[in-house]
Amino acid sequence: MDKNELLNNIRENVVTGMDDKVRDECRQGLEAGIPADEILDKALLKGMNEVGDLFSKGEYFIPELLVAERAMKAGIAVLEPELVKKPTQSLGKIVIGTVVGDLHDIGKNLAAIMISAAGFEVVDLGTDVSAEKFIEAVQRNKAKAVGLSALLTTTMINMGPIIKALRRAGFKGPIIIGGAPITQEYADNIGADFYASDAVDGARKLKLTITK
Amino acid sequence: MIEKPFKHGADFEHLRKVLMRETTKGPVPIIELFVDVDVMAEITGMDIPVDKATEFIRNFGWSNDPEVVLAGSRIMDLSLAFSQAMGYDYVTLTLLMPLPRTQSQLKENPQQGGKIRAWQNEHRGIITTRKEFEEFPWPAIDQIDVFPLEYAASKMPPGMKVVSFWTGIFEDLKLIMGIENMAIKSIKEPDLLNDILEILTVLAEAGVGMAAAHPATGAVLYADDMGFKTGTMLSPKFMREYVIPRHKRIADACHKHDKPFIFHSCGHVDALMKDLIEVVGIDARHSFQDNIEPVENVYRKYHDRISIVGGVDVDLLARATPAQVRARTRQILEACAPGGGFCMGTGNSVTNYCKIENYYAMLDETRKWNEEHG
Repeated sequence: MDKNELLNNIRENVVTGMDDKVRDECRQGLEAGIPADEILDKALLKGMNEVGDLFSKGEYFIPELLVAERAMKAGIAVLEPELVKKPTQSLGKIVIGTVVGDLHDIGKNLAAIMISAAGFEVVDLGTDVSAEKFIEAVQRNKAKAVGLSALLTTTMINMGPIIKALRRAGFKGPIIIGGAPITQEYADNIGADFYASDAVDGARKLKLTITK
Repeated sequence: MIEKPFKHGADFEHLRKVLMRETTKGPVPIIELFVDVDVMAEITGMDIPVDKATEFIRNFGWSNDPEVVLAGSRIMDLSLAFSQAMGYDYVTLTLLMPLPRTQSQLKENPQQGGKIRAWQNEHRGIITTRKEFEEFPWPAIDQIDVFPLEYAASKMPPGMKVVSFWTGIFEDLKLIMGIENMAIKSIKEPDLLNDILEILTVLAEAGVGMAAAHPATGAVLYADDMGFKTGTMLSPKFMREYVIPRHKRIADACHKHDKPFIFHSCGHVDALMKDLIEVVGIDARHSFQDNIEPVENVYRKYHDRISIVGGVDVDLLARATPAQVRARTRQILEACAPGGGFCMGTGNSVTNYCKIENYYAMLDETRKWNEEHG
């Protein structure tokens, strides 16, 4: 199998969530001398971005995103020893978390998957995250952007104070918000830079903003 | 000035006619999925331990804590007192069934002065493997208990009926498997989901059938969240193969006794509406959120085939002013009431984070509308 055929197979197996095949093919790729960062970019991330496109078109749903992520991660685990020898060029770090008072995280986790697939390094602070924790993580990681998630009307009201606290602490990068009750109007009202209707939309908007 | 109740005397027969689109005349009825225990307690003045009662509800009556069981037993009285105080035509009660589900975690919300909300574990459920499925303590049909209906029958005022609530099979699938685990298994091990869904369907057919057969029951409210903000959680293809035909069996168990089958689903489920109407045969659809699809749009598309129930966005009830709630309530009534087949209510439930003055504003504006168009 030539290099392009193998990379294409890995990409296709990420798209269909075949983690065992991705793992085996990534091993084959390394053995054949394909650089780990090339397998990452041209097969794993490319496949995951294709999954995002299919999700946007309404052809893929939450399960397909989750199994594709598993397949991508299975491949990354194989590549990791090589990747750490020659760190890949990340687009930067994005700090994300579900805001204080809110314990939901499926939407936030899906966002983390798609933001990673877009080429960023995700610093996921988990759920119930206070303004102080966001500020500390942003400063420590020199974050390029921040993503805030909330599922409830009662917890989305905590987004505004966190955005204000981040700005007061000197963070100038874009802040993107998402979650079931969130609208563009709400994002505008609380001073967020963007609203994401779903995980794929959020990753796209971040990439467009940061790489423009 | 708002005075309770918003309507005098229960008239379930009128509500039934509206649900079944047999009339375009008479007042617009009001229906809710749930009203949080603390809201009912605040309005009725009944002294009930809210944390224990919430724990009882969120864990479907499963508890070894005698205080939780005691609080749970008082929910029926609270619900009856609340329905009468507010002028509802029905009281919502659920049959009891000892089905284990993933337990909720109760947490005080400091943004609400310490009021309690329940949080479901979304990741790992209590069935993750075939072995766990085979060892699962499934309840027997004869363990389904109609006591709440018997109790209500002895206490309800004339004209009132029970809306019998049943948790949907897809909802229970998520509660048993955890959403994330269920989603992954839907691709990796669909037969496991199929087998769990089949057992849940047999139980639901029996439970809904018992509820619908009982003379105290006026309608069945079957709640099965299938969507999220921008689509269905699993593909419509999966839902059509594994879930929709089973929904039909459950709806048939209700229709066998000529009771309306109200279907609740949160989220964007437009892709499945044709299936719900044509295959399942739902009589009414409940749950609307403005940033998914405003209720007026749904009404325009489907009111000639089913009735539409509720619609004032819970976010509005939580954050807006009473004047804004009145304006939105009237806007919805103007679009949906004249053609019949419409019941007012929140887009989902009267949660403890809704402002009570906003809930009253929605009810009072509907009362005014009904008086103006009586």
